[in-house]
Amino acid sequence: MERGVTLRNVVKAFGPVTIIPELNLDVAEGEFVVLVGPSGCGKSTTLRMIAGLEKVTDGTISIAGRDVTWERPKQRDIAMVFQSYALYPHMNVAQNMSFALRLAGAPKAEIEERVTRAANMLELTPYLDRRPKDLSGGQRQRVAMGRAVVRDAYCFLFDEPLSNLDAKLRASMRTELALLHKRLGRTMIYVTHDQIEAMTMADRIVIMHEGIVQQVGTPKEVYNSPVNTFVATFIGSPSMTLLEADLSGTGAKMAVQGDGFKLPISARQRKQAEAAKNKKVLVGLRPEHFAVEALNKDFAPIDLKVKVSEYIGSSQFLAADVGGKSLTAAVEVGPEAELLGDGQYFFDTRRLYLFDRESGEAL
Amino acid sequence: MKNETTRYIYYYTALILLACISLAPIWVMISTSFKDEVTVQSSTPLWFFFVPTFQNYADILTGRGKFDLYLMNSIIVGVSATFLTLFIGGFCAYALARARFVGRGFLANATLLVRMVPPAVVAVPAFAFVTLTGLDNDLAALVFLYTAISLPFAIWLLFGFYKQIPVELEEAAVVDGATPLQVFFRVLMPLMTSGYAVAAIFTFRIAWNEFILALLLTGRNTRTLPVATAGFLTEEGVEWGRIMAMGTLIVIPPLIFTFFAAKQIIAGMTAGAVKG
Repeated sequence: MERGVTLRNVVKAFGPVTIIPELNLDVAEGEFVVLVGPSGCGKSTTLRMIAGLEKVTDGTISIAGRDVTWERPKQRDIAMVFQSYALYPHMNVAQNMSFALRLAGAPKAEIEERVTRAANMLELTPYLDRRPKDLSGGQRQRVAMGRAVVRDAYCFLFDEPLSNLDAKLRASMRTELALLHKRLGRTMIYVTHDQIEAMTMADRIVIMHEGIVQQVGTPKEVYNSPVNTFVATFIGSPSMTLLEADLSGTGAKMAVQGDGFKLPISARQRKQAEAAKNKKVLVGLRPEHFAVEALNKDFAPIDLKVKVSEYIGSSQFLAADVGGKSLTAAVEVGPEAELLGDGQYFFDTRRLYLFDRESGEAL
Repeated sequence: MKNETTRYIYYYTALILLACISLAPIWVMISTSFKDEVTVQSSTPLWFFFVPTFQNYADILTGRGKFDLYLMNSIIVGVSATFLTLFIGGFCAYALARARFVGRGFLANATLLVRMVPPAVVAVPAFAFVTLTGLDNDLAALVFLYTAISLPFAIWLLFGFYKQIPVELEEAAVVDGATPLQVFFRVLMPLMTSGYAVAAIFTFRIAWNEFILALLLTGRNTRTLPVATAGFLTEEGVEWGRIMAMGTLIVIPPLIFTFFAAKQIIAGMTAGAVKG
C-alpha cells in the first residue's frame, strides 16, 4: 500500500442521513491538501474521520501505508489543530504543548528539548509560562500549532484553524502555515470554507459539495479548468457569473450568444464548442477578465449597465446588468479614474468558460 | 454629590438592617451558649452584658453526652455522603452532558423534580427500607439516604458545568493520546473544580444538618450531632444553654469546609475561562 493518507470508498451516515455517500482520496506523503467547500459539505466530517474522532460507516482509511480505519486517534500518528484551538485552559503554554508527550511518557529532557524547539519556531518562547487566557488570538493559534508541531506526527490535520482570526492576522498566519509545511515536510490536510486560504496554501485542493468530491487539482487547475459550475463559481473572488447562452456559427465565426451579449469563441475552445453545438450552454465569465479597453484581439466588446460600482483601490467592482441578468466585473483602473458607469467594456474571450446547461459539467 | 451620599446612606441602612436580621438569631445562639441556666431564664432578656460561662461547653465536651462520638458520626456521614454524591453525580452529569440518547433533556430536568420531594416524605419508606436491609443503627443507611437526597441536585448542577466545557477539549486530548480516564481526570477534572466545590458545599450541608431521617434511623451509638442536640430536650425541661452550645459547635465544621471549598471555586474560575 502506498504511503500518505488514503481514503477508499469511505461512507459516513448519521442514522438515516448520509453525509458522505462515497469518498475516495489520495494524499501523497508530504503533500499539503486543502479540503474546501461550503458549510455542510462534509469536509470537517472527512477530516474527523481521518483523525479517528468520527467512525466511518463503510470504507477504509490508511495513514502511512497502514490501515487505521478502526484504530483510535492515538494510534494513527496524527496531530490536529481545532478551530476553537481547544487549548487546555488550566495548563500553561509549555504544558499545553507537552501534554501529548507527557501522556506518552517521553523522557523529561526530550520533552523540554522539543517544546523549546517548537516554541522557537513559532516565536512562543516568551509566553511559555502563560495560560491560554492571557494570550491574544494569534498567539493562541500558534500554541495550537505548537501542540501539533511538538508531536512531530506523520500527518497534521487542520480544522478551519484561521477562521477565528481577523483578516490581517489570517493572512500572516497563512504564510506561517505555509512555512511550517515547508520546514516540517509533513503530510498536511487542511479544512476551510475560505477559497482564498485554499488557493494560497494548497499543493492540491479538494472541492467538496454535499459530501461529494467535485474536483481535485492544483490551485491552477481548479481555477483555470473547473469541471463544473459549482467549482467554477466557488473558486475565485468575486465569483464567476454564469449566463444562459446558445452557440452559433462555425469555425472562426463561432460565437456564444445570450440576452444582451455575443462573444466569439476563441481558438482553444473551438473544438469543445463544435462538439456541443446542439446543447444549451452556460457561459462563465470571471469578473477579473473584464477590462475597460481591448488589450489585444482576443478581447471582445460587451455592453454593461452598471448598477453599482465599488472602488477598492487597484480596481473597481461593477455590479452590472446584462440582458436582465446580474453580472460582476472587476476592472483595473488607474489612479485618476472616476467611478465607472454604463458603457462598453471588453472581455478576454480566451478566458471564457462553457458549461452544459443541463448537467452543469464543463464542455 | 449630595444625591450620591444620600443614596449610600439608604443602601447601607438597608444592608445593615438585613445583616442584623440574619445575624440576630446567630447571636442569640452564641450568646445563650455562654449563659448559665439562670441568665437564660431571666425575664428581661440580656443581649450583651452578662457574665460569660464556659460551663455549657464543658458539660458537652466532657460530660455524659459522648460529643466526640457524635461528631465523628456526623463527619463520617457528611464526608462519605459528599464523596459518594460527587463520585456518582459527576459521572452521571458527564454522561448526561455528553452522551446522545433519547430523553436526555427530560432526564436532566427530571433530576430537579426529584429534588422537590422533602426528606420527611420519604421518612417512612426509608425506615422500612433500612429495616428490611438490616441497615438500621448503621451509619451506612444515612450515607446512602443523604446521597440519594443530594444526587439530583448535584447531577443537575454538575451537568451545567460539564455542558460549558467544549467537546473540542476532550477531542484534542484524545488526539493527544489520552485514554478516556485520562481525559476525565487530567483535562475535565481540573476544569470542574468550581462545579464540584459548589456541589460539595450543598451536599455536605444537607448531610450535616439533616434531622428527621437521622432521628428515625440512628441508635444510641450512631447519632449525628443534630440528633444528639435534641437529646437536651429532656423531661425536666429544655437545656437551652447546652443546646445553643451544641449549635455553636455544629456550625464550625461546615464553616471550615465551606471556606476550603470556596477557595476551590475561585481556583476553578481562574483555571477556567474556557472560551477566549
